[in-house]
Amino acid sequence: MMRGITKRIGSIRFSCVSPDEIRRMSATKIITADTYDDEGYPIEMGLMDPHMGVIEPGLRCKTCGCKVDECPGHFGHIDLAMPVIHVGFIKDIKLMLESTCRSCGRIMLTAEQIESRRDDMSEMRDLGGGTIDLKNFSKETAKDASNKGVCPYCGTEQIKIKLDKPTTFREVDDNHKLTPKEVRERLERIPDEDLKTLGMDPATCRPEWMVLTALAVPPVTVRPSITLDSGDRSEDDLTHKLVDVLRINQRLRENRDAGAPQLIVEDLWELLQYHVTTYFDNQTSGIPPARHRSGRPLKTLAQRLKGKEGRFRSNLSGKRVNFSARTVISPDPTLSINEVGVPYIAARELTVPVHVNEHNIEKLRAIVARGPTPSMENGYVPGVNYVIRADGRRIRVTERNAEEVSGNIDLDYTIERQLMDGDVVLFNRQPSLHRMSMMAHRVKMMDGKTFRFNLCDCPPYNADFDGDEMNLHVLQSDEARAEARILMQVQENILSPRYGGPIIGAIHDHITGAYFLTHENPRFGRAEAMNIISKLKGIEVPKPLTDKNGKEYWTGKQLFSIVLPEDFRTTFKANICQNCDLCIKEDCRFDAYVKIRGGQLLCGTIDVKGIGNSKGKILDRIARDYGSDRAARFINEVTKLALGALMNHGFSTGIGDEDIPDEAALQIANNNQECINKVTELVESYQNGTLDQMPGRSLRETLEVRVMTVLGQARDEAGRIAGKHLGLMNPAVIMAKAGARGSMLNLSQMAGCVGQQAVRGERLSRGYWNRTLPHFHKGDLGAHARGFCSNSYKSGLNPTEFFFHAMGGREGLVDTAVRTSRSGYMQRRLVSALEDLKLTSDGTVRNTVGTVIQFKYGEDGVDPSRTVRGKAIDLDDLFAEVLGDDADILLRIDDRDVGEDYGTREKDEMEYTEEEDSEEYDDIESDFEGGGE
Amino acid sequence: MAKKDTLKALVSRDISEEVAGLLLTKYSTLSMVSAASAEDLVDLGLTEEEAESTLRKIGKRTTRTVPGTPKTKIAAPEPKTESIEEVFHKRNLSPAEIKLKEIADKQGSALPMKIITDIANGIERADLSDDIYTRLVATADRMYTSHLMDKNESTGVMAAHSIGEPGTQMNMRTFHYAGVANINVTQGLPRLIEIVDARRVPSTPSMEIPLTGIAAEDESVARHVASEIEVTSLLDIASVETDITNMRLVIVPNARKMVQRGLTEGDVVERLNKVKAVRGLVKSADLQIIITSDEPSYKKLQVMYDAVKTAKIKGIDGIARAVLNKSGGSWKIITEGSNLKEVLKVEGVNANKVMTNSILEVADVLGIEAARNSIIREAMMTLGEAGLDVDIRHIMLVADLMTNDGQVKAIGRHGVSGKKSSVLARAAFEITAAHLLHAAMVGELDSLEGVTENIIVGQPVTLGTGAVNLIYTPKKGERSNE
Repeated sequence: MMRGITKRIGSIRFSCVSPDEIRRMSATKIITADTYDDEGYPIEMGLMDPHMGVIEPGLRCKTCGCKVDECPGHFGHIDLAMPVIHVGFIKDIKLMLESTCRSCGRIMLTAEQIESRRDDMSEMRDLGGGTIDLKNFSKETAKDASNKGVCPYCGTEQIKIKLDKPTTFREVDDNHKLTPKEVRERLERIPDEDLKTLGMDPATCRPEWMVLTALAVPPVTVRPSITLDSGDRSEDDLTHKLVDVLRINQRLRENRDAGAPQLIVEDLWELLQYHVTTYFDNQTSGIPPARHRSGRPLKTLAQRLKGKEGRFRSNLSGKRVNFSARTVISPDPTLSINEVGVPYIAARELTVPVHVNEHNIEKLRAIVARGPTPSMENGYVPGVNYVIRADGRRIRVTERNAEEVSGNIDLDYTIERQLMDGDVVLFNRQPSLHRMSMMAHRVKMMDGKTFRFNLCDCPPYNADFDGDEMNLHVLQSDEARAEARILMQVQENILSPRYGGPIIGAIHDHITGAYFLTHENPRFGRAEAMNIISKLKGIEVPKPLTDKNGKEYWTGKQLFSIVLPEDFRTTFKANICQNCDLCIKEDCRFDAYVKIRGGQLLCGTIDVKGIGNSKGKILDRIARDYGSDRAARFINEVTKLALGALMNHGFSTGIGDEDIPDEAALQIANNNQECINKVTELVESYQNGTLDQMPGRSLRETLEVRVMTVLGQARDEAGRIAGKHLGLMNPAVIMAKAGARGSMLNLSQMAGCVGQQAVRGERLSRGYWNRTLPHFHKGDLGAHARGFCSNSYKSGLNPTEFFFHAMGGREGLVDTAVRTSRSGYMQRRLVSALEDLKLTSDGTVRNTVGTVIQFKYGEDGVDPSRTVRGKAIDLDDLFAEVLGDDADILLRIDDRDVGEDYGTREKDEMEYTEEEDSEEYDDIESDFEGGGE
Repeated sequence: MAKKDTLKALVSRDISEEVAGLLLTKYSTLSMVSAASAEDLVDLGLTEEEAESTLRKIGKRTTRTVPGTPKTKIAAPEPKTESIEEVFHKRNLSPAEIKLKEIADKQGSALPMKIITDIANGIERADLSDDIYTRLVATADRMYTSHLMDKNESTGVMAAHSIGEPGTQMNMRTFHYAGVANINVTQGLPRLIEIVDARRVPSTPSMEIPLTGIAAEDESVARHVASEIEVTSLLDIASVETDITNMRLVIVPNARKMVQRGLTEGDVVERLNKVKAVRGLVKSADLQIIITSDEPSYKKLQVMYDAVKTAKIKGIDGIARAVLNKSGGSWKIITEGSNLKEVLKVEGVNANKVMTNSILEVADVLGIEAARNSIIREAMMTLGEAGLDVDIRHIMLVADLMTNDGQVKAIGRHGVSGKKSSVLARAAFEITAAHLLHAAMVGELDSLEGVTENIIVGQPVTLGTGAVNLIYTPKKGERSNE
């Protein structure tokens, strides 16, 4: 059995085809512009000649005798009555005409110059100069040789040549038009040696080949015609174009042979040139594109290749695949982070090839015998869709033939078994912006019609469940499965290579749950405690404590410690930390100083900073020091524990949570009014000219800045008042403080005051003449007239405020739309530029040519995903390990930073705009082509 | 024809087109120009300085001795005898560092100096035994080795993803410079794109110029330095009136503004007399400056007015605004516009610490390594400002790639991607047809080493697991067991 890659293409050389070669490789000469005869059979020597391959099932190719799909197709050719220029080479032809003598064809440089140019070129090649450098150099050579008055070899006076776009050359002095024939003659005269000087390889491309005398006709398989329902044939664009070429070619030949007037011949010749030009590239500048009868521009050769929908980007760099599925996603907290729930209906279609050997033959026979749709009585069992015999024949397994096929199974057969629990699959969500957008999961068969996965996997995919769809790919070879499991499995990607921290971790409710479990160390009785930890498997329940009444209880911190590794130690400040001036550590009033020793949580509250994605310190350390298996277990257990705790406690939030007492509302209103009055004063002083101008700013700018500060304070103050009255037991506050969801800014906007709306970072100013809305006086610069919302979301915005809010919101929407395309294009460029770099075994970073980009990766050779917030090693860890627990005292470290953030820091509050993750770039990544083509 | 060539030749020798135009009024070939003396050129209407530098650029040594110290123009390719002095800032290692380094060397570990320094800083205040030192190094080495990047890792794609992915989270806005100085600086995604594009001039060039000496402490001195840097045009300090009856321009300087900018009337007259359109016509007359036209034409008057209005009186080209800012107890200047080369020469400026956000300018003035550091700094700042954390190693890789061949290359079809060695990779990126046609013309060979090429032909790529091969040779007799 042959498996894997047995042959490798070493290299590909590009070259031009000579007219001779076109004729030699041609299966048939094409002379008639007609395609099919009355019976619907292709005409011999027509564009659909069966010598060029077949597209209809049943017919055989007249050249190789193969049927559809077996015959690769064969080229034909058209002999052009008069030569025409190939548009793609027009610039090169011009350079060559200019740099060589019009009579002797020699390049117009002296022997020494040629010598030195050639030396330079070979030196460039030796030094590893790329084609592009050589191209620029030979262009330079050609420029130097051109514009000489007299040929240094034969002494002929030269005439300047002008290019009339797209394809006409003229001699400047008498405006004589150079016919393609003359061009070809001149190109023919250039000796091979001189071509080398110009950077061309005469063996692969002679310049006269750029003036076509024969046109290769692509095989019919390249331009298949489609039969419509009505029975009409619809030809491919290329065929249409070739028909045009043939017609004109025919007329040109007839006219020429009949001795028609020069003018007519020339006109036809030009028309032929036009058709051949558009056949190659229908977007040539300077000529109107050839159109289909319906008015749609034809898609000719160049259009087939270039751009996002072109052959290169859509068929060669990216390919469509089998064994894949796509459906809506939904959450399931009971799954492990490594699993994905696959609906039965999808699993029946997705198969894994299993090679039959003597060890598994009996088992496989039994599976095949079940057929493609086994009964679901005992739950899901995989069936078989196809059996591939040792000779490569595929047999479709049906209910009816299952038994028979099963009996025939022999060694070296391959059966295509349906998906089952534990299979390795790739799971992906677009846009695939980083490598964590495609990870390997283990299949878990499930009822329903959606893919399901653990909520902790949302951040790397950037997924939510508002209708997102995701793709799943089933791996087909053992190598692929092994690689996927070792490199791509979710647990191997917990640490993000972007920053040295976890990207997978507890989110939302998990954090709230952990907060309730550990904050202020609640006590749980036996029933409660067992309820909380009941979902954990294979754990050792810690010994209960007893209170003064002799009743058994467990503390929350005790329960949390169950999931920690035994020798775990760390110290950090939790998210709820108030950043007091003097940290009193263990005695923190807010229980924000987290200390874990010997796998026991001694003090502190577990929140985002402990287990959260991108910030979780505990998670970070476990993933780095205890390996991915332990980290995956930790995440699974901690989420189950946290949800247990949350369900035990009960948790909900609603509009009532933003209720504030009347006195607070009054305070906020008063404060707002005060600030608004202040603004009015500022505006007055501006109008009186008594406002102090700030250095480097105009008076008006000064006013705006001052007003913005005052109104910013107004909102902050409102938020502070509201926050004070909401209290620490408010669910919304708990979520914000623990870092589960939302921020205090969100809360202050809901309960306190929405604040100033801004467009482009400035107060609203556009709309009507000198005012934003007709509700205000012209020239009103006050707070309300320029977009200040003094109401809260809860109390409700008034009509003008609502409108201003919409204006600010619209900016955010436009921003996201523009941003996705711009950043997508940047990413494409970055990837294209950097894709070839790799870390070689000598520690240098090189591209595939071997150029050293870095002598040591990142100056220290450290993998960013294994760093500690970008540092190569964790000093705290080092000291703790070498010096033991006394490290702090020994080194007299008092206030080294314990708990700096990574991932995303809180955005500047003023800049905050609500951004619901928009879906506009979900499926189709918009095209980022920045012009050019 | 000949004149046109000469003009080209002159411009290519770094002579401004203006000057070249003047030269061409008398001379038609390069050799004629170089045969002329400096005085001849001055007669033509050039200033002495211009004449000197022109001749120097053309390749003629002036025999006249220039009073004072001649300024060596950086751009002048001709005789530059000054030797380049290499400056090393070698930091003295602390005893702890030396000790750790010695132990590390003895153990044969390749700990980077950064880690050693960090450890040394950590244990600075403690008195530790030799044994602990040894254990520290050994443990650090173990940790460091386990954190190393795996071989054959596709570091490039990792870096591209790490920079590109947060791009979707950045915003498109430009905001104001942090602090009081109201200077707009492009931030966020547009700035990041600008950096990887290696634009010649950033959309909002800006400099940060720390001051030194008394200028750093005294506000008025600092203000003076700022006025030396900021471009002052005539309209900033005076009003200009056109007196049609007498065919002259009357300039009325504003005394207060003049003092503010440290200018006297004499300075202004001197400066204005160098402006081409009004050369030699500017006279000072009690508190006014009068420019009388030498030919009675309204057109000339208009030309004069336009030339004078925008005339630069003082300051450095390109720097539209200079704002003072005090931070950390010393004054610094933040500017709108950037001109590193000239700013470095200004007295009172701490030339070691001047920063500009124009990467290409850094490359021109300070060299490619400085440009690399500048790219890293600017990119890290932009990402940091947006609150996104990206490991510096990724940005280093991008910066190193962009500066790899001694010039700052853009990421994109005009730079790195357009210069790839593989035809297929270039064709798959952008401008597909042109690359293919050219490849056919020169008979290019694609050796299928990169990622894109191998994907196109359907082979495993040469990175990561595709870079290695496993060969398993069954032992004799093993085969028959099957």
